Amino acid sequence: MDSITTAASVVAAGLAVGLGAIGPGIGQGSAAQGAVEGIARQPEAEGKIRGTLLLSFAFMESLTIYGLVVALVLLFANPFAG
Amino acid sequence: MLASSLFRSETKPPEGGSVGLENTKEASHSEEKTLCQDSSDAALLEASEEYAQHQQRYIVATSIVSALAVAISAIFFDRSTTFSILIGGLSGLLYLWLLSRGVGKLGKVSKRVSKSQLLVPVVLVLASSRFPQLDFLPAILGFMLYKPTMILQVLLES
Repeated sequence: MDSITTAASVVAAGLAVGLGAIGPGIGQGSAAQGAVEGIARQPEAEGKIRGTLLLSFAFMESLTIYGLVVALVLLFANPFAG
Repeated sequence: MLASSLFRSETKPPEGGSVGLENTKEASHSEEKTLCQDSSDAALLEASEEYAQHQQRYIVATSIVSALAVAISAIFFDRSTTFSILIGGLSGLLYLWLLSRGVGKLGKVSKRVSKSQLLVPVVLVLASSRFPQLDFLPAILGFMLYKPTMILQVLLES
């Protein structure tokens, strides 16, 4: 792998993880805030709220995982390494 | 002065009686409080049991779908692909369990969402890049099986 490809892969991996984590991070924070407020207001609905939170976290975090997988592929199994 | 003190003593109820009345009021209040606390404790226990049931349902459904995917790939594809889907499905189960544990702790033990579950896909991708027996795409597909399972579960529940 030549130096330009290596440098571009490292930069792209960083961007993939960094930019890919911004949106889900904000979303998870606001979802957790809403869920905790909901549980504090209505403790008897905790089970349903936590179940829905688990579902939404699983879907939000998969976006981060996509970025993470792309970054790891670029770093450890680069298809452009030639 | 004397008249006013007499008036006060007439208007005021006897001290022993008021103390007794207050005691009975306090006792009834404390009984109500304990009743309310008992009912709220029961509701909280029920809610946590409900969440545990949700968690168990998701994990069981994901394991069933993963087993189905492994069986189908064993019929149509080679051993390496089947093995990769199996490893991916197992890591998806581990990820889901860690995530549900983190969500269960949120607000009780920790104030933040735990990130330990993100180590699972990292280890999976690193393992697929290190070991030639583990194919990358089938492993990731097996890992991501929890998503359609959850969608299916929600659709079936609603």
